[in-house]
Amino acid sequence: MSKMGTAHYDAIVIGGGHNGLVNAAYLARAGKRVLVLERRHLVGGATVTEEIYPGFKYSVCSYVVSLLRPEIIRELDLPSHGLEILPLESTVTPLPNGDYLGRWADHDQTRRELYRHSARDAEAYDDYGKLMYHLAFAVKPIVGMVPPDPTSLSPKDLRGLLKLGRHFRSLGEERFHALFKLMTMSASDFLDEWFETEPLKATMSASGIIGTFLGPRSPGTAYVLLHHYMGEIDGAFRAWGFARGGTGAIAEAIAGAARRLGAEIRTESGVTRVIVKDGRATGVVLESGDEISARVVVSGLDPKRTFLKLIEANQLPADFVDSIRRFKIRGSSGKVNLSLSELPNFTCLPGEGPHLRGAISISPSVDYLERAYDDAKYGDFSRRPYMDIIIPSMIDPGMAPPGKHVMSIFVQYAPSDLKGGWNETRREAFGDAVIDTLAQYAPNLPGAILHRQVLTPWDMERDFGLTQGNIFHGELSLHQLFFLRPAPSWADYRTPLENFYQCGSGTHPGGGISGASGRLAALNVLQDWKR
Amino acid sequence: MTNSYDAIVIGAGHNGLVTAAYLAKAGLQVLVLERRDVVGGAAVTEEIFSGFKFDTGAHRIGSLHPAVVRELDLARHGVDVIETDPTVFTPLLDGRHLLLWRDPQRCVESIREFSKADADQWVPFTQLVAKATSLLEAAYASTPPNVVTGGARDLWTMLRLGGRLRHLGKRDMIEVMRILPMSVKELLDDWFESDVLKGTLGATGITGMFQGPMAAGTAYTFLHHHVGVNGGILRPTMRVRGGIGSLTAALAAAATERGTIIKTNAAVERVIVESGRATGVVLECGEEIRAKWIVSNADPKRTFSRLVHPTELDPEFCRKIRNIKFKGACAKVHLALSELPDFTCLPGNGPHSNGVISISPSLIYLERAYDDAKYGGVSRKPYLEAVIPTVTDSSLAPPGKHVMSILVQYAPYHLKEGTWDDGRRQALGEAVVKTLAEYAPNIESAVLHRHVLTPLDLENTYGLTEGNIYHGELTMDQLFFMRPVPECARYRTPIENLYLCGAGTHPGGGVNCVSGYNASRQILRGAKRFGFRS
Repeated sequence: MSKMGTAHYDAIVIGGGHNGLVNAAYLARAGKRVLVLERRHLVGGATVTEEIYPGFKYSVCSYVVSLLRPEIIRELDLPSHGLEILPLESTVTPLPNGDYLGRWADHDQTRRELYRHSARDAEAYDDYGKLMYHLAFAVKPIVGMVPPDPTSLSPKDLRGLLKLGRHFRSLGEERFHALFKLMTMSASDFLDEWFETEPLKATMSASGIIGTFLGPRSPGTAYVLLHHYMGEIDGAFRAWGFARGGTGAIAEAIAGAARRLGAEIRTESGVTRVIVKDGRATGVVLESGDEISARVVVSGLDPKRTFLKLIEANQLPADFVDSIRRFKIRGSSGKVNLSLSELPNFTCLPGEGPHLRGAISISPSVDYLERAYDDAKYGDFSRRPYMDIIIPSMIDPGMAPPGKHVMSIFVQYAPSDLKGGWNETRREAFGDAVIDTLAQYAPNLPGAILHRQVLTPWDMERDFGLTQGNIFHGELSLHQLFFLRPAPSWADYRTPLENFYQCGSGTHPGGGISGASGRLAALNVLQDWKR
Repeated sequence: MTNSYDAIVIGAGHNGLVTAAYLAKAGLQVLVLERRDVVGGAAVTEEIFSGFKFDTGAHRIGSLHPAVVRELDLARHGVDVIETDPTVFTPLLDGRHLLLWRDPQRCVESIREFSKADADQWVPFTQLVAKATSLLEAAYASTPPNVVTGGARDLWTMLRLGGRLRHLGKRDMIEVMRILPMSVKELLDDWFESDVLKGTLGATGITGMFQGPMAAGTAYTFLHHHVGVNGGILRPTMRVRGGIGSLTAALAAAATERGTIIKTNAAVERVIVESGRATGVVLECGEEIRAKWIVSNADPKRTFSRLVHPTELDPEFCRKIRNIKFKGACAKVHLALSELPDFTCLPGNGPHSNGVISISPSLIYLERAYDDAKYGGVSRKPYLEAVIPTVTDSSLAPPGKHVMSILVQYAPYHLKEGTWDDGRRQALGEAVVKTLAEYAPNIESAVLHRHVLTPLDLENTYGLTEGNIYHGELTMDQLFFMRPVPECARYRTPIENLYLCGAGTHPGGGVNCVSGYNASRQILRGAKRFGFRS
């Protein structure tokens, strides 16, 4: 690399999303001179808090956190940069018949509540929890490792495969087989083996469909059931949490850490192209036309944007470009953010109560979710969608003016390839379907809305640079995981171009605000640096 | 007749007969017990209406295990396999049709009518399928390894299969690994654009499955049905002259020739277990018969929830057996016809009736058919796989007449409303004939007799739990070392000397005789260990 001694920066990170920031922080921590380039006026990517309407702060895209790696929190000392996670400990599913199903922070209360619906399920719940807890431990090392390339015979990859094999054998038969089932089954089939209460199965399986273009009965949706428990075993903040100040506060904390470690972060600096010379990345060109050179370039954008937009096709092997083209990245979800003059009054639990401080899930039955999926399969948005709702101002009063509230509604399904295409009218119709559905459970809601922000996959692509509005930078289906994410032989954060790396959610392990991709990518960059 | 044998095989389905023949070939004294009055299980030919013979269960065969064909000398026992050409005919309502042939070049020409791009993709796609199935073929021939606590033999199997995978070369190896967990729709969308071609190929991915073509894992089912098939042919149609019953009759002959005794009308009530070891069976008539080895050709659920007393089994094991997914999705309709159906899109008699007639205009059509079943209803527009074996084999019907056998999907075993009573059975038959009549209007008047088997009938008649034609769904979580449950994946069971040999074991499903063959090999290994010498 001596040839590039003239480079101004050691590394340029394209995109100031949470993975890009984590990556920059780790590179800076190793003493590298790092520059982060962010297209928008603020950092965070899809991990942002924005005050769209005065006084009302929205976690515009992602809204909860459970998987943020504890080693990142520790190593970057995020709490000292303002990270504070407030627990979201209950999940309530209102039912059309006026009843509800609640799961609470208090284990005994949950048990009593489950008993009310089914004694059998109440009994099974603890055993299920135990199994999932063990399985979460079983997956943890896999999530934390750089995927080995099974086609390679290099000592490093063989070592990786051997390690993986030994890990599986160490699990013992029962857990290995349970893990195998979890990886291949549908959430609905997996839960059918344990439970009978419809809203319980539906609400749990809903976590398996988030961000995917699959229904709860589609094989491959079961393993996401683990995510909930993975947050738990790491002990960082148990289960789901909400960042004080909104999810943007997480990005701010990481950016703060990166800056303190010496990284430079420039906003309103969109990158249009990566400069490639002789199969080697040497810098980037900004929207302004400025060129900045660096010894290493890391992209936090999704694989499609990274390889099909920032790089000219003739700079990459045709095979590789083909795999990236085939990488599936259909968006399936939308987001509705509301400013409210008063709290929603749920028919099943009238008035203000602890349920408003947790998640509210509109998932009364597995059939309900499947029907929502059916609409999307044929190119419509769900007329009766699945929704995961939180009221951030109930947890962090700073999110809204006194007496007022903000509500964050994650909605599925809203297909990116809507029949006839998305436009303003369709977007509002989608927003109406959401409010309409919710009004069935909380009739005062429509009258309480002061402002409404609706995001479809179309908006998420345009505003946040998520190709097709896919929140995970690529679908989390079995054939797009581990050593296949985003492309075979290039799952170790490296790319066919020398000195060019990827660090976004489109790489292993992908999805959610975990920072794992950003960190593992940085460790790989640093490893290559030594050579 | 002695009341003690070396081995008893419960059920004279094709796999049971194969196992019996191989055990007898090794010198064991074998008794096969069949509940019905005919052998064959779900591979039978029955004269339901005078003069009209139907393959009432399976109406096609898969690629028969070559060793079985050779070693049991099936040709000498009268097995004559007909490989139809064209293999499949998909009529459309817009006046067009798709024909797939055994000759790749003819397929290309046929596909070109719909899409030039697809025509160009055809041969490369068949090559990918051939590579993937060659790997599966190696896996099918192996006893699934115990991947967690296995010993040297298991490790050897894994290394051998890993070697086969690497042998494909880097590019194909990755591609094969990538497509295995996909949905058949994703697989086909990667290659083709024409709806009818994708619908016709995709139908293979959902046959017998309670899944639509958008479900992950259906690409595997698609490949499963092509294992052992000559490269270049997709959606092959193979059947046996004289009906599929002549295959099982030949297997029975091969077994009896080696000294096997086959008793029909001899339903087994339970397996006798003493100190954790199977030692015999009790028939429904009360008779007890002893044997050193008991082999069940019944599906795993029937075997362990009916034939073995639950106190003999670990509760955790019982839970796993209970959780095996069956979810029967098919019904059968059999028609005696006075004349051949006359398709609007391709009038008159021609080779198009030779193979499978597939009502599968698009993947969306199939997915919508599944949507109905997903909520517990029968498909309003079902997927149909129809064959008219009399076109190539006039022995099955009176002169000039025909028989048509139709696999109907989806007809869920678990209905949301009501049960499979006669009203629903007849309604299903009518709906199927109506669907066919949209494509071939003369069929309604050509029907002389109609016979319908609902999933419940399939369960009652053939002992297929929930009417599942594969003895358990062929989904990823129920394959290879997971089939039917990890404890039984190597054909042995937690009960000593009790083995499984049916389609509920690896590789499962389709009339290919592989499970029966693999099981017999495993039993003989065990037999040797216990001092048996052939």
